[in-house]
Amino acid sequence: MSGSIRRLTRCAVLTALALALSVAEGLVPLTILFPLPGLRLGLANLVTVYALCRLSGREALLILVSRCLLGALLGGNLMSLAFSLTGGLLALGTMFLLLHMRGLSLFGVSVAGAAAHNTGQILAAMAVLGTRAPLVYLPPLLLCSLITGTVTGGACILLVHRVPQPLERKS
Amino acid sequence: MKRLFPLFLALSLSLSACGAPTVGDVGASEQFFAMDTIMTVNVLDENGEAAVQAARAEIDRLEQMLSRTREDSVIALLNTHAGDGSALAVEPELGALLRFAQSVSQDLPGCFDITIAPVMDAWGFTREERHVPDPDTLADTLALVDWRALTVAEDDASARLEEPGMAVDLGAVAKGFAAQRAADAIRAAGGTSALLDLGGNITVLGSKPDGADWRVAVKDPQDTERQLGVVSLRDKTLSTSGGYERYFEANGITYHHILDPETGYPADSGLLSVTVVSSDPLLADALSTALFVAGRQAALDYWRSRDDFELILCGSDGVVTVTEGLTFAFRGEEHGYTCETARR
Amino acid sequence: MHFGGRSMDTPVKRPAAERRRPTIGDGVLALLVILCAAALFFGLRPASGNLLTARIVLDGVLVAEYDLNALTSPVELAVDGGAYPMVIQAEPGRIRVLESGCPSQDCVHTGWADRAGDQIICLPNRLVISLSGAEAQTDFDAVTG
Repeated sequence: MSGSIRRLTRCAVLTALALALSVAEGLVPLTILFPLPGLRLGLANLVTVYALCRLSGREALLILVSRCLLGALLGGNLMSLAFSLTGGLLALGTMFLLLHMRGLSLFGVSVAGAAAHNTGQILAAMAVLGTRAPLVYLPPLLLCSLITGTVTGGACILLVHRVPQPLERKS
Repeated sequence: MKRLFPLFLALSLSLSACGAPTVGDVGASEQFFAMDTIMTVNVLDENGEAAVQAARAEIDRLEQMLSRTREDSVIALLNTHAGDGSALAVEPELGALLRFAQSVSQDLPGCFDITIAPVMDAWGFTREERHVPDPDTLADTLALVDWRALTVAEDDASARLEEPGMAVDLGAVAKGFAAQRAADAIRAAGGTSALLDLGGNITVLGSKPDGADWRVAVKDPQDTERQLGVVSLRDKTLSTSGGYERYFEANGITYHHILDPETGYPADSGLLSVTVVSSDPLLADALSTALFVAGRQAALDYWRSRDDFELILCGSDGVVTVTEGLTFAFRGEEHGYTCETARR
Repeated sequence: MHFGGRSMDTPVKRPAAERRRPTIGDGVLALLVILCAAALFFGLRPASGNLLTARIVLDGVLVAEYDLNALTSPVELAVDGGAYPMVIQAEPGRIRVLESGCPSQDCVHTGWADRAGDQIICLPNRLVISLSGAEAQTDFDAVTG
């Protein structure tokens, strides 16, 4: 059936987009402005939010895991995979739950996602290094996630409203 | 509030992770001055106080015996009787210690000599009046340095210095000997997990209370606030000798306290520090001094001839050589050091 | 193939996805993130910011104890009980041996101590100044050398 091919294609395109975004973001490192390990804008999160809003949690998860694995293949190592996967999964879970709640906009969801992503990264760093030392970076990272989350949240709103709905039922 | 549960969950996870208990909540510790240095004894078993006191008592006893600046010590007596032909009755453990020091001199000719005391006095390292001796004084005192002219009886029960003016200084073995005996005392008192810091000479007993290896950092000889790296181990002694420990400057030249028994001048072998790791505290202490004088190549050759110690050598060329038997996490790269592993 | 879920076949209803402006809920969430950051910050370093204690011990006897971070102005302490007279200077957050009559002057050369775990030692005087407070920021148990 063409629906499954459509879905597959859509996931592949979104994965490629997420990958491209995270590579592009690596070209303009925020850490030049703020020397804080792990600090980044989190543009790839846009794709996760879009997938959560317009597709399903399952597809969002698929895209996220593929993006992390491919990203590690492209130019990372096992450690960066652990960081991005832990952060990404925690962010995905948090945003999935928050999206079901009333009273929030994508700004809030995105800020929570960024905060969860940073928390996940720090937890992974603590596990990998076997020390709690990375924890000192979490408070400033959380504060930064307010800004990066708001920026990506604004971008998400544009994305979700401007990009047309997938034409699911016509297939 | 319910809505933010996921976020709270994430944050409380991270908070609980930092509440892990720290090592050192139980056990006993004491810091004290002995053997011209500061010592810390930590016993991390429950009710470790008795073991700490046993270790301290042992160290105090050995200082009484080994310090040549105490007039009533056996070593001071041995030195006063130098050259008068009389053999001084000594404890067998001291006889064995003197004989051990001689064996190191024999193994590493020209690198180690406990009869260096007259030269140390000429430099003023003993009385903290450090100065460059005039050449005549140096030559006179250097003539008195000869470990072969120290006679120890077969049964280790008596010793004699053959020439008047000769003197023994056990500075290069005293801390190692003390570590050996203090560790024995701690074990006898039931201690299983302990860390002894005898003026930078580190001895670890067993593992940490949580079962992990002890982690001992090695000082950067060029900046003692920094570390060259960290060794993970258990039941070992780490002894480090370096010119940065005691030194003085005169006319723009730095003179340190590890004297070459051949020249009478501070050893200049191209090494900034030598760390010896061994399960024998006495061996670690003596070899760190001897191999500092010997230099990198001779030290590695000697290491290849034995299997009871490992080395970390820091050279003035910025190369840190670590022998293959150690678990060493190198940290010196950002301070301009490079690390190489020596193989057998 | 079955992709499961009614949500697959109908346009997904996500209240948050339809809004274009921030809500009060967003503000509450941002506030909570700030609170968590602050709680973590203060929870993590209960001592380093607030408490740094210097203990001056002369031959096993406690001579003086300063809470360095509570000091508002420099303090000088003359210690004459040892073999050589010496002067110790404490400032907000740090301490040093200002001058000493001892021959080696190692204690003076050590300079300022300002971190928990730091020690200044004068061997001839049998004096130790040790700083405690925050957990020492090291990942090893001892230092050889």
